[in-house]
Amino acid sequence: MRGVQLSLNKTQKLRLETALEKLESLSSTTSNNSNASVTVADTIPINYEDGVLKGHGTSEMDGRVVATICGVVERVNKLVYVRALRARYKPEIGDIIVGRVIEVAPKRWRLEINFSQDAVLMLSSMNLPDGIQRRRTAVDELNMRSIFEENDIVCAEVRGFQHDGSLYLQARSQKYRKLDRGQLLRISPYLVKRRKQHFHHLDQYGVDLILGCNGFIWVGEHVEAKDDMVVDQMIKSEQENASLSGSVSSCEQEQSHTSVEIRQHICRLANAVRVLSTLGFMVTVELIIELVDLSISHNLNIHEMLGAEFYVIVAEKEAERRSLATKKR
Amino acid sequence: MGSVKRKSIENPIEGYDTPAEKQQKRGNELLNLDEPVACVHDVSYPEGYVPRASTSNLPDKDAKPAKEFPFTLDPFQAEAIKCLKNGESVLVSAHTSAGKTVVALYAIAMSLQNKQRVIYTSPIKALSNQKYREFKEELSDVGLMTGDVTIDPNASCLVMTTEIWRSMQYKGSEVTREVAWVIFDEVHYMRDRERGVVWEESIVMAPKNSRFVFLSATVPNAKEFADWVAKVHQQPCHIVYTDYRPTPLQHYFFPSGGNGLYLVVDEKGKFRENSFQKALNALVPPGEGDKKRENGKWQKGLFVGKAGEDSDIFKMVKMIIQRQYDPVICFSFSKRECEFLAMQMAKMDLNNEDEKVNIETIFWSAMDMLSEDDKKLPQVSNMLPLLKRGIGVHHSGLLPILKEVIEILFQEGLIKCLFATETFSIGLNMPAKTVVFTNVRKFDGDKFRWISSGEYIQMSGRAGRRGIDERGICILMVDEKLEPSTAKLMVKGSADSLNSAFHLSYNMLLNQIRSEDGDPVNLLRNSFYQFQVDQAIPDLVKQAKSLEEERDSIILEEEDSLENYYSLLQQFKSLKKDVRDIVLSPKYCLPFLQPGRLVSIQLIKVDDNLPSFSVKDDVTLGVIINFERIKGLSEDDTNKKPEDASYTVDILTRCAVHKDEAGKRTISIVPLKDPGEPAVVSLPISQAKIDSLSSVRLVIPKDLLPVEARENTLKKVSEVLSRFAKDGLPQLDPEDDMKVQSSSYRKAVRRIEALENLFEKHEIAKSPLIEQKLKLLHTKKQLTAKIKSIKRTMRSSTALAFKDELKARKRVLRRLGYVTSDDVVELKGKVACEISSADELTLTELMFNGVLKDIKVEEMVSLLSCFVWQEKLQDAQKPRDELELLFTQLQDTARRVAKVQLECKVQIDVENFVSSFRPDIMEAVFAWAKGSKFYEIMEITQVFEGSLIRAIRRLEEVLQQLIQAAKSIGETELEAKFEDAVIKIKRDIVFAASLYL
Repeated sequence: MRGVQLSLNKTQKLRLETALEKLESLSSTTSNNSNASVTVADTIPINYEDGVLKGHGTSEMDGRVVATICGVVERVNKLVYVRALRARYKPEIGDIIVGRVIEVAPKRWRLEINFSQDAVLMLSSMNLPDGIQRRRTAVDELNMRSIFEENDIVCAEVRGFQHDGSLYLQARSQKYRKLDRGQLLRISPYLVKRRKQHFHHLDQYGVDLILGCNGFIWVGEHVEAKDDMVVDQMIKSEQENASLSGSVSSCEQEQSHTSVEIRQHICRLANAVRVLSTLGFMVTVELIIELVDLSISHNLNIHEMLGAEFYVIVAEKEAERRSLATKKR
Repeated sequence: MGSVKRKSIENPIEGYDTPAEKQQKRGNELLNLDEPVACVHDVSYPEGYVPRASTSNLPDKDAKPAKEFPFTLDPFQAEAIKCLKNGESVLVSAHTSAGKTVVALYAIAMSLQNKQRVIYTSPIKALSNQKYREFKEELSDVGLMTGDVTIDPNASCLVMTTEIWRSMQYKGSEVTREVAWVIFDEVHYMRDRERGVVWEESIVMAPKNSRFVFLSATVPNAKEFADWVAKVHQQPCHIVYTDYRPTPLQHYFFPSGGNGLYLVVDEKGKFRENSFQKALNALVPPGEGDKKRENGKWQKGLFVGKAGEDSDIFKMVKMIIQRQYDPVICFSFSKRECEFLAMQMAKMDLNNEDEKVNIETIFWSAMDMLSEDDKKLPQVSNMLPLLKRGIGVHHSGLLPILKEVIEILFQEGLIKCLFATETFSIGLNMPAKTVVFTNVRKFDGDKFRWISSGEYIQMSGRAGRRGIDERGICILMVDEKLEPSTAKLMVKGSADSLNSAFHLSYNMLLNQIRSEDGDPVNLLRNSFYQFQVDQAIPDLVKQAKSLEEERDSIILEEEDSLENYYSLLQQFKSLKKDVRDIVLSPKYCLPFLQPGRLVSIQLIKVDDNLPSFSVKDDVTLGVIINFERIKGLSEDDTNKKPEDASYTVDILTRCAVHKDEAGKRTISIVPLKDPGEPAVVSLPISQAKIDSLSSVRLVIPKDLLPVEARENTLKKVSEVLSRFAKDGLPQLDPEDDMKVQSSSYRKAVRRIEALENLFEKHEIAKSPLIEQKLKLLHTKKQLTAKIKSIKRTMRSSTALAFKDELKARKRVLRRLGYVTSDDVVELKGKVACEISSADELTLTELMFNGVLKDIKVEEMVSLLSCFVWQEKLQDAQKPRDELELLFTQLQDTARRVAKVQLECKVQIDVENFVSSFRPDIMEAVFAWAKGSKFYEIMEITQVFEGSLIRAIRRLEEVLQQLIQAAKSIGETELEAKFEDAVIKIKRDIVFAASLYL
């Protein structure tokens, strides 16, 4: 609950504390590597006879391996590295991220993605609307603003690092696009677990949820993406519906109005994410939906989700769930 | 094949002809040379595809073509270009020399005109280099990317190897978004067992909006391939197929030891039977050389020429030169043989003085880029004198630079006689007037087999220079008899069909899992392999149906009781066989196989598939002459007890002898009274041919060679038979005479008796038509069994191919900690993702175990060489102790990886896998990394220069991948070490730039 200011009354405070204590005790019993967390300059105990590979966040000093960042020591065979907690985002190839365009430069956009540097999305790494193959013309470069402008929210994939350490992004398919009509939330990157899927279409709410690995989370109205690049064309082609398959730009003109219902859904989902991140719980699609359902079952209004009572309920619920899970084990 | 086949031009687009029609057209040979050369054009549409109605976005039909050629296009080229103009994909299937490059060039020109990117992929680095040069001359905006070099990667037209293209797609290069046309050259490489899968991956993953040009050798199932592309990419794919050769071919045989050539197939594609027979008759039966061939040595047949006399190949080349059939390419199937043959040309000089000077200039200007030391390499210095005489050698063991010089000299016409391996038949247009095959057999890993017709077509494609020669000449050196059908199949057979060689690799899986959209299952579902399996299903269904109909059409009366009888009969037979097996086991019967004993033999029916159904067997009598043990193939047979060995018995009996045209005798045993010769047949007693032994022995004459003697013996047999006519020939009693003491024997005998009783009681046995009925029932049963097996294959193919293997391999990845249980790639997996030029699992494990960390750079390079060296080397000396130790570590790691795979039910032979890592060049690579000169390391090892260079180049590729991998785990020291290693090995002749660049 680092630095969270909630206006709790006495009983709520008590309940929350018990819940958090319970959680803490659970985590300390389940994971034995709690002693493996280090701060900067801590020596990492290793068996020198075997020889080690020193990975990220480690360095050698006077024959000892020391941590250069705060975090948890991880070991894979002989490799030792420190996984940082509550740090800036550390990109890995293949990550899905959400970012904000801060500059339109020649042939490229610069994006703020909560990394130590700005990320670069090349025009050539971007899919054109309609998914047609790009022609290399000057007109294209002049029209870059018709794709993304400054302050647009964009999702993309991490493609790789340049020699100077700068980060390059790419958009493999139509689903990497400009995001509009929704909310962007910033949470700590470590709360987003890397999973197979980061794009989620929540059918019941008509909402798209994108959990960017960099801690930027997008909740917005669902847009049917015409996806030409997906390998599995067969399945997609069945779903493909000519009327829905408009490009991003044409969508803007077609439907400029988002229904109130969907707006409410977006807000509810966004608040769920806020609650989770404040409490320091992992943000996953399942948990978010669970929270939304919980709020509805408690008959809470959207704004009430951010009230103290709901936090307490969520914390208690989570504590209960985890203790059940450990018992089962 | 080798003929010009002219067909009427078909109406494009509408030509939706079935393969059968095509076949018919192909058969319909019009041999008028004046008619225009034609091709077959066909289109595959994806299911539910509606041809575009609006053509607004298409370039105007009358617009200036993107490229104009200074010659008139052949119809197939024009047809293919028409498809390109319509913006649709096309597969061009034609012979190497036909001019497929024109189509590729047009596609490139078109893309450049539209300011779009185009990618040209080829299977071989050398070919990519050559194409790069070729394109660069025509168009300026060309780049090259191979494992060795990268030139101008931002160019609009990129030439690359297919492997590079695949990894670009996995990594998501921007090129994939800009490429409008992808040209796959030599796409028939897809059937390559090891690398073929790369093509499938590349084609499946290719951008959906780009179009393709596939260039392929002639493949009979081009339509199938196009159907697949159409389905996977949801776009029409045209097929332009032609058998056309710009220069017709004549095929000759050169019998070994003979003196002349025999025209076997003329330029019109007619097979000349009598000339073929003459050729075979002229074949001098090989003498001592024969023995060697039996032992499977590679020198087969080439040493037939006796000492002092000219060898066959020398005579052949001499003749070719005399008849002015040069230049000539002599294909053989091994590098050593290639060199050996070239050595035999020592006495020959085919060049005049001017040419010699020319050669020397070209040679030394090419060698100029080498250092002084490298110029002194034996391979370099030995090659020049040979080249100056107009003789060249071309195989993968040569230094790449020498290979290229030889290619250039050959193209300049300065080499008159080139000895090459199969690799020379692929790629750039380098035709000769004549092609010689020095062998009719090729070693394919486990045995010497005939050259396949596909290989023959590919290699003979080098014969005949367009516009220079009226016809190309193919000469096949025959050193053994072969059937006309075999010869026909080889020389005139159809091309190999394009079959998928899909297989899974961990690198592929990890890359697929890593990307958000990727799913290995999708790749499998879209693979050509799956497509081909799916294609087969309707066929199987049809088969099963027709068989079912056939079965149902057989109607029998009283089927139940008949079936009962049938099963009784089966039991009875199997029991009888059991008894016979016991009685006639060598243990019991050997003492009774004396010469002169009468035995009853089962008559072999002509139609073997229908067993007889009477209770009594058809038997005849014969006289034992002798018996002998069958010699086993392996030595340890001698350790076996005599009882266990198998024996054959020579029996004199009446036989009908047939001779077929080929002079092969077939002998069948007939009853004594039938007409036939008395002959001795030898029957293995383990087979069910010998029925029983009688107690009667005849005195047989010592000399049975004269026919009369045999006839007399048989007469005696008949006499004996008539004497015992009343109560049958007395048999040896198994228990009393032969002392068979086995409880199973007694049990069986008792059951036989019981069964015999049942037969008599069985009412249906009295039915007059019992035999026929039983036969019918038998057919029916067989049909049912067949239907069952077809249904089984159908079931297995409807499931996703490789499904089980995919599961198993994913299990391996999880077990080793490469991916998590919910398919997220872990750190180790990310490392393995980067490694595509070596065994990814073993190398990753090695790295994470810190093995690479603790050793010196040179040692590390040396260790990594085991991953890239694949040739098996006989009697290679062991590396020194430190290296040996490292190698054992590698082997341990490999064994562990293999064992995990085995536990996860991946089919793998652990020891085979471990021994696939070869330590043979460790020493050499170690020395190279230490900074030795190339000639110094060549003294350490016996491998071919070219092979070593290739291995070191590949090693550099692996190191580059490891640098990326080290980066991703943040181990900077290791990364620096790899970079250091690259610097250490990347120098001098090993990385000398290609002459084509």
